[in-house]
Amino acid sequence: MKTVILATAIRILIPIFIIFSVYTLFRGHNHPGGGFIGGLIGAIAFVFHTMTHGPHQTVNTFLKINLYGYPRQPNQSRSLYLMRMMRVNVWRRRRLARHPQLKERMIRIEPIYIIATGLLLAATSGVAGLIAGQPFMHAFWADFYIPILGKPGTPILFDIGVYLLVIGVVLKITFVMSEE
Amino acid sequence: MNHLLLLLPLLIPLYGAILCLFFWRYVRVQQLIGILAQACMLIASFVLLLEVNNKGIMSTQMGSWPAPFGITIVADVFSSLMVITSSITGMAIYLYSIKGLDKARQTFGYYPVLLILQMGVSGACLTGDLFNLFVWFEVLLICCFVLIALGGTKPQLEGAIKYVTINFLASGFLLTGIGVVYGIMGSLNMAELAVLVRTPVSHPALISMAGMFFLIAFGIKSAIFPLFFWLPASYHTPPIAISAFIAGMLTKVGMYALIRLFTLIFVTDQDLTIPLLTVLAGFTMVIGVFGAASQNDFRKILSFHIVSQIGYMLMGLALFTPLAIAGSIYFIIHNILVKTNLFLISGVVAHRNGTFALKKLGGVYLQHPFLSLLFFISAFSLAGIPPFSGFWGKFMLAKAGFEIDSFVIVITSLAVSLITIFSMTKIWNEVFWKKKPESDPLLDVMADSEQQASRMMHVPIVFLVVFILFIGIYAEPVVSMAHLAAEQLLNSELYINAVLKR
Repeated sequence: MKTVILATAIRILIPIFIIFSVYTLFRGHNHPGGGFIGGLIGAIAFVFHTMTHGPHQTVNTFLKINLYGYPRQPNQSRSLYLMRMMRVNVWRRRRLARHPQLKERMIRIEPIYIIATGLLLAATSGVAGLIAGQPFMHAFWADFYIPILGKPGTPILFDIGVYLLVIGVVLKITFVMSEE
Repeated sequence: MNHLLLLLPLLIPLYGAILCLFFWRYVRVQQLIGILAQACMLIASFVLLLEVNNKGIMSTQMGSWPAPFGITIVADVFSSLMVITSSITGMAIYLYSIKGLDKARQTFGYYPVLLILQMGVSGACLTGDLFNLFVWFEVLLICCFVLIALGGTKPQLEGAIKYVTINFLASGFLLTGIGVVYGIMGSLNMAELAVLVRTPVSHPALISMAGMFFLIAFGIKSAIFPLFFWLPASYHTPPIAISAFIAGMLTKVGMYALIRLFTLIFVTDQDLTIPLLTVLAGFTMVIGVFGAASQNDFRKILSFHIVSQIGYMLMGLALFTPLAIAGSIYFIIHNILVKTNLFLISGVVAHRNGTFALKKLGGVYLQHPFLSLLFFISAFSLAGIPPFSGFWGKFMLAKAGFEIDSFVIVITSLAVSLITIFSMTKIWNEVFWKKKPESDPLLDVMADSEQQASRMMHVPIVFLVVFILFIGIYAEPVVSMAHLAAEQLLNSELYINAVLKR
């Protein structure tokens, strides 16, 4: 379903969806919102992208990281080499990518790992209470406020976990369904 | 310390499943994580049982919200016995599935789903909140659906659809019942509800009506008489490692919930519930055992016997004396171990011969005398021959029945026991003793790797037989724990005080 109008609109809409989903995630403790809703809103962005460009393009755009590098020269100092590697991967990546000496390595983030990370975060937010000798999921709060986001505490970890879990599950379902 | 100990049976399988997800591509690593999680689970549940046995009922509040408002996790002797039995069974299933389940199914998330299923069993046994109980049953339902359908062969999908449709209906009844209870009482904490039903209320009839919703819901989930038909239709379809765990464990969790609720909350209208439960128990036993007698497939016979044995557990609840409930608890533990083991044995036989049909099997006694001995012990335990474990359960139930002069149900149960022996003898004759029909000599030769796999598959069976013999021959500790559990169930003051901290 590749139309020019949707493809152009989606370029502007994706950042809006993601920012709004993060905002919904953080306001969720005391207002409507939270990890589940936030995750669903965030997932809309990726679903639209898959609908217009297909699952492979979505994976290439959002879930793949290319790392560039070359083997260390014999007389090059280790720190200099590390700094070069950092610069190659951070600064002006596009232009350097065409450099013939550089080798490419690809890291692909599978939805299943997003799901697992989300579950791990959510479960671990509860364990914090157990370690302190309190019941499971006992909440610990900081005593300062961060503007817009509010008061940080362990329950937000749970919400972030749910957020990642929902995004991962929706991505997985979308990829499987659109490949068929 | 309490907080940690009560949560461990939930957290260990959860973290195991999460780690398995991280190593999605590496089945070897998943197997290792699985075994590790099972071992930790066994140790944790054993420590929990010891602690509860010594110190009485323990409870913790999730998120530090006080009792009637937050979710309570509570362990008495009955629930910790269930948890340890489930972890013993889980260990056996894991040991079996390493060799006994095909590689394709193992790569598609078998290990994480089985761990989550175990978390669901522990959760359903440990929770002290009615709605939370519903959520754990949903976890069980979803995991079972995935496991039964895993692999996607035609009979599996057929079984899975039957299973899910009828259990979905049961969940609907359960949710309706919970809604009615909340509407009448305004609370879902089980201890709080136990206090509220014992104070005079304006609508005692409504409470019994809510109880009927729960009876139908758990009646479907644990395959009680009029609602049992889905069980023999679905349990024989998945591979044996999966159907052994589901068949051994799941219906008994429904039974656990039924015993818990009908001793703690729905006790106000016993003129109605006790005769009803007695009739249901009798019919469940009789229909199940006749169904089994008419079958000609190893797994289908065992599936129908699950139904028949559910009747015994229900009979303990229906007699409603301390001895009867203790007998019921002992019988549940015995039955989980024995039934899982019989399913595993049928799996080993089928692995060797490629079929479950009694007509095509035969001569196993000649090929595997040791396996035959293991089957002999398990089958006689199931039928209730004196030195083995089934005898003690049936003995306690029968004695309790005679004490309160319920002769009809006791005589029914003893007659059913006889027919159970008939079924077991039928399997023994057809599978183990009969000369193998049209045996192809080429089929009898096994490759070395096959033989090694077959030997590995004996390990979990021996593991379970050790426990079966232990609770049969040295029954004293388990029987005394069952008595303690029954005492705790019938004195609901103990439970209420432990949860509400009065």
